[in-house]
Amino acid sequence: MTFNDRIFGVLMIVLAVAYGWGATQFPEPFGGAESVGPDTFPLLLAVVLVLSSLYMIVRPDPDHAWPWSRTGIELIVAVVVLILYALLLQPLGFVISTTLAVGTLCWRMGARPLNAYLTGAVSGVVVYFLFSFALDLALPLGVLSFLEVN
Amino acid sequence: METLGFLMDGFGVALQPHNLMFALLGAFLGTLIGALPGLGPANGVAILIPLAFSLGLAPETALIMLTSVYAGAMYGGRISSILLNIPGDEPAMMTCLDGYPMAQKGKAAEALAISAIASFIGSLVATVGLILLAPLLANFALTFGPAEYFALFLLAFATLGGITGKNPIKTVVAACIGLMIATVGIDNTGVQRYTFGVLELYEGVDFIIAIVGLFAISELMFFIEDRAGGGKEKMKVNKLTLTWREIREILPSSLRGGVLGFIAGVLPGAGASLGSFIGYTLEKKVVGKKGYFGKGDPRGVAGPEAGNNGASSGALVPMLTLGVPGSGTTAVLLALLISLNITPGPLMFTQNADIVWGVIAALLIGNFLLLVLNIPLVGIFVKLLSVPPMYLLPIVTMIAFVGIYSISNTTFDLYFMVAFGVGGYILRKLEIPLVPVILGLLLGPEMEKNLRHAMDISDGDWMILWDSGLAIGLWVFAGLGLILPYIIGPLLRRRMQNPIEEGTPGSD
Repeated sequence: MTFNDRIFGVLMIVLAVAYGWGATQFPEPFGGAESVGPDTFPLLLAVVLVLSSLYMIVRPDPDHAWPWSRTGIELIVAVVVLILYALLLQPLGFVISTTLAVGTLCWRMGARPLNAYLTGAVSGVVVYFLFSFALDLALPLGVLSFLEVN
Repeated sequence: METLGFLMDGFGVALQPHNLMFALLGAFLGTLIGALPGLGPANGVAILIPLAFSLGLAPETALIMLTSVYAGAMYGGRISSILLNIPGDEPAMMTCLDGYPMAQKGKAAEALAISAIASFIGSLVATVGLILLAPLLANFALTFGPAEYFALFLLAFATLGGITGKNPIKTVVAACIGLMIATVGIDNTGVQRYTFGVLELYEGVDFIIAIVGLFAISELMFFIEDRAGGGKEKMKVNKLTLTWREIREILPSSLRGGVLGFIAGVLPGAGASLGSFIGYTLEKKVVGKKGYFGKGDPRGVAGPEAGNNGASSGALVPMLTLGVPGSGTTAVLLALLISLNITPGPLMFTQNADIVWGVIAALLIGNFLLLVLNIPLVGIFVKLLSVPPMYLLPIVTMIAFVGIYSISNTTFDLYFMVAFGVGGYILRKLEIPLVPVILGLLLGPEMEKNLRHAMDISDGDWMILWDSGLAIGLWVFAGLGLILPYIIGPLLRRRMQNPIEEGTPGSD
């Protein structure tokens, strides 16, 4: 099974219908109905999206190869790393979370683990200092906050 | 001669020491971005926007810096076309045809220098064109009413794919997605739309987050998928021996390329790829049998390169005067304008004259800086080509994270950015272009506002949307923009492919 133009078209129609239905549920704005209310523009968009998605279903482009097996897993790993990076940025602090995130990404993209995490650590420290001293922006220190000088 | 006075004021702004410094920084960063593998101009400008914000730069300084980045990225892109036969972006394709053969003959330094000079001339011609044309167009645009603007926005969407675009209907789908995302939040009548009670959504979706996610994160995913993590082998560049005669020889080609490129850049739907394509084919026609195109003719480097840069300056005309960008990178620059609280469009020329003319002057200065930077520093930029993407892209992603985080100091925005990145990856896999999504996000609120104004004027009569000759004209062009790609698109695409296949003997 591949995710192609047809399936995307169906999904877009579902989205458009839900979106259009949502527009009809808006409360009437204060001051009474106008010729163009909050729902007019969304309804227009829903109609256009339904029509263009229908065209995609009727005349789809040839299917594309989707990376399902190993590369697919690598992609999921990358996305998980990014989500964890966002999650851990504040608790762990910028330098440590950057070391882990950039290091893991470099490693998964084919660098040797030592080089990868070294790159992560160096880039994290450099960017941290650049931001806090040169640009005067505070990035979270997290568990390293005992190192704070001022 | 009013224009000249404004331009002088503009130079006054652009030549202030700190603005000049940021222009230099931007030009350098831009060339870097253009030269680095996997970082196109739109992508690079997008990542730098949040940083420009968190630095708290004044609007004109931020704009000057990012315009220089934009100009610089165009310069940087040609380095990989000439040395590796890999165009950094689509418009650079034509530079490969004669640039790579020149490099193979051991004339890489000459090819790089010629392309730098041609880029400079192309940009210069187009900037002069911009100075002459922009105020006229801005004046004309003052006559536009809300109905005309609504039609103009439609025209912008319809022509975004360009006449060489593959599947215009996908542009429509993409534009709808972008416009839909733009409706999230509290609208002008105070009604909450699609916020699902989430506090962070009340103010709508920040398009900077969307742009950075769509470009930077999806690019990372593409590289992972292609497993293109390794670096390219190092390139040797010979010592430069360029004579005045050789420079004189490419001058006419560069001038012609620049003029054509500018025209292609201004016209909706043509864009830089067509600019460089026409630049190349015209050179072939004009020079005729005397040339040795495809085998390393310097004029084959100069023509398209001037066309490419001319088009990128030309593309600023509709962006500055009408608020309607014609390309991905100018869309990103528009995002910057909107977030700086500058309403793009004809009024900008009167209300923010110092900024507009400052930017135009910066474009001229930036070009001189780039020419000066590029000839001696080309060695450094060449070295950058061998930076392996497996180290580069994670760091770029990290910089995107830092930039977005520094805008609001919340992690919510980061999740949002990752989500946009995944969405962008899926769209790109389906060959649905991302630029209309971004344009939809940017223009959505304006489009709805103009629709509302038009309807208020006509008291709810939809006929007002095509009531004036101008509006009808815009509708017709928008329609053509969607239909023409089906008719002449395949033809043009084939002709753009042909010279490439003939022109690169021995590759693949």
